[in-house]
Amino acid sequence: MTDIQEVLNKIGPYEPAEDDHLLVCRCEEVTKGEIRKAVHEGMFTIEELRRYLRCGMGLCQGQTCGKLVKGIVARELGVAVTDVTPATSRAPMRPTEMEIAGNDGGEQA
Amino acid sequence: MRIERYDMIVIGAGPAGLSAAIEAAKCGIKPIVFDENARPGGQLFKQIHKFFGSKEHKAKMRGFNIGKELLEEAEKAGVKVVLGATVTGLFDGKEVTVRIGDTIKHVQGDSILVATGASENMVNFDGWTLPGVIGAGAAQTMMNLHHVKPGDRILMLGTGNVGLVVSYQLMQAGCEVVALVDAAPRVGGYGVHASKVARCGVPFYLSHTILRAEGDDHVTGVVIGEVGPGWKVIPGTEKHFDVDTICLAVGLSPMAQLLSMAGCQMNDTKGGYVPVIDEDGMTSIDGVFSAGDVTGIEEASSAMIEGRISGLAVAHYLGYIDDAEKQQRIEEQEKALDALRQGMFAPQNRGKKIEKTEEGIPVSENLLDKGYIADDEIARYPGVTHKKGIHPVIECTQNIPCNPCQDACKFGCISIGDNITSLPVVTEDSQCTGCGMCVASCSGQAIFLVEEDVEPGYGEVTMPYEFLPLPKKGDCGVALGRDGKVVCDAEVTKIRSAKAFDHTNLLTIKVPNDMLMKARFFKSQE
Ligand SMILES: Cc1cc2nc3c(=O)[nH]c(=O)nc-3n(C[C@H](O)[C@H](O)[C@H](O)COP(=O)(O)OP(=O)(O)OC[C@H]3O[C@@H](n4cnc5c(N)ncnc54)[C@H](O)[C@@H]3O)c2cc1C
Ligand code: SF4
Ligand code: SF4
Repeated sequence: MTDIQEVLNKIGPYEPAEDDHLLVCRCEEVTKGEIRKAVHEGMFTIEELRRYLRCGMGLCQGQTCGKLVKGIVARELGVAVTDVTPATSRAPMRPTEMEIAGNDGGEQA
Repeated sequence: MRIERYDMIVIGAGPAGLSAAIEAAKCGIKPIVFDENARPGGQLFKQIHKFFGSKEHKAKMRGFNIGKELLEEAEKAGVKVVLGATVTGLFDGKEVTVRIGDTIKHVQGDSILVATGASENMVNFDGWTLPGVIGAGAAQTMMNLHHVKPGDRILMLGTGNVGLVVSYQLMQAGCEVVALVDAAPRVGGYGVHASKVARCGVPFYLSHTILRAEGDDHVTGVVIGEVGPGWKVIPGTEKHFDVDTICLAVGLSPMAQLLSMAGCQMNDTKGGYVPVIDEDGMTSIDGVFSAGDVTGIEEASSAMIEGRISGLAVAHYLGYIDDAEKQQRIEEQEKALDALRQGMFAPQNRGKKIEKTEEGIPVSENLLDKGYIADDEIARYPGVTHKKGIHPVIECTQNIPCNPCQDACKFGCISIGDNITSLPVVTEDSQCTGCGMCVASCSGQAIFLVEEDVEPGYGEVTMPYEFLPLPKKGDCGVALGRDGKVVCDAEVTKIRSAKAFDHTNLLTIKVPNDMLMKARFFKSQE
């Protein structure tokens, strides 16, 4: 288990940056600054960020921003990109309307 | 509850998925292939350029024609492809949910092959969400599948093969490419691809990145700047271009979500989140296989072979072929795959700086910095010889897995040998007839024919030409050098098109003798 407090001590406080206003997740309009700030609030995995900020939860399901978000988190934590736990993949893999999902009775049509 | 069952469910009808289904069907399996697109073929039908490789890899064929052959083969083998079918989930017991229209179907397979390919990466800069910032693959889909011009003036970010190939295709579609930009210090893709773009006059800006896209409701311009130490842009190096489109070719990421949700063991790599697979393409879940870009980005040629290997492995898994047959047939495919993974751009060489070719010749620094070979570098390569009479000049200077030029010359003028990555050599004592087959067959458009003293003081250069409208005999204009700058006046003396050339036209221009080793492109004057 990661000791959250230890990591937070190591990376120090959030410092505003010039490009904090950059949109990263355009589906849910989440900026780079918000993601960086969230890291300093203790969100280290993509899964946590998704729940906290909704980045990667929009129409494209993180297809566009997933890699970018991971990069930002890794840089903020000072770790390799591959050390950031990726998001859990869940069905449906592509956005599906509730009506269609609701009508799925598990049968073969 | 009744669930339809299949021997083999293939997800993705790209080159990998189709090849797997074909190979399995040939062994007696009845596979079903789902693809969310309206047409099969994956990325292959966007590729209008000639492919590298050897005959076995269908080299010198254009990508979409390879796709056509693949579809015919699939039909003959009895492969059933369901289009407009999005697989939304992959679950325990090899159950798959497919959305077709407004309903979700559940199907189960005795084996599953995931060949869902990859998606394009993005980068952030101010204004990146403006309309007019698009992926290079999207640009390719627009022009080559839907015949829509993505824009008029375009800046391309990324000098990998995708960035280079798409830049060239944009010019073929009638767009102006104002610059090729890459944050890396060296051109990432094949030198031959870079050269054919550079000689049209497109400047390369290596160690540069996009600072911002300009415009209120769509792109009207772009500013780039030079990257210095620590990836910071050096103040004062900003350059502005008027453009209406910015194309991003900054890599692809495997789309492996289905495998990850099914519980396959995954590996987080620099190249993306990919399934752990064995040499046959089987994942950590028994009977679930994977092939193509989803297992790591490569090419269509390797995706097809990986697909064939997985198809055979599935046939073996289901008991349709025995150990001996599997081993023998997979070995053949592995040999072909191995050949593709050789040379300077092989996966194991990614990111390495290579100083010398396999032959020990220094690589062209200028090619890596600016996209073209400098005049004083060209003579050191074995494809470049000097003769008075007509002869080929082969400006192919990197070890890449490719050899159609050798097969093209029926007169033995060109030799690569058994090692497919060796540089092409122009043999000294052979007699070139000027037939032009080598020029048209070269996937990299790197072969020119040169002849001195066609008339007093003047000689001729023949070059591959793939732009419309075609210049006509007698047209006057200028010859451009490898760097895309005007070197002299030129007159078109011949233009040849033939079925065997497969839409590569041969344009012959007359230039002064001392320009024969400089003139590499032609621009009509009006
Ligand atoms: C600009 C460009 C130039 C290239 N040039 C070359 C070249 O010169 N030579 C070369 O060898 N290669 C080239 N390539 C690479 C080549 O196109 C790819 O490597 C190859 O297409 C990968 O094949 P694949 O079958 O793995 O994936 P893809 O071709 O991407 O096919 C995947 C298929 O899966 C489908 N799919 C995905 N998810 C789902 C789902 N959930 N449900 C249903 N269907 C799904 C997609 O619709 C698609 O049809 C180029 C690529 C690009 C972008
Ligand atoms: S022009 Fe014809 S004869 Fe001459 S090298 Fe090329 S293929 Fe051979
Ligand atoms: S010269 Fe030969 S090896 Fe080089 S790109 Fe052309 S066909 Fe391939």
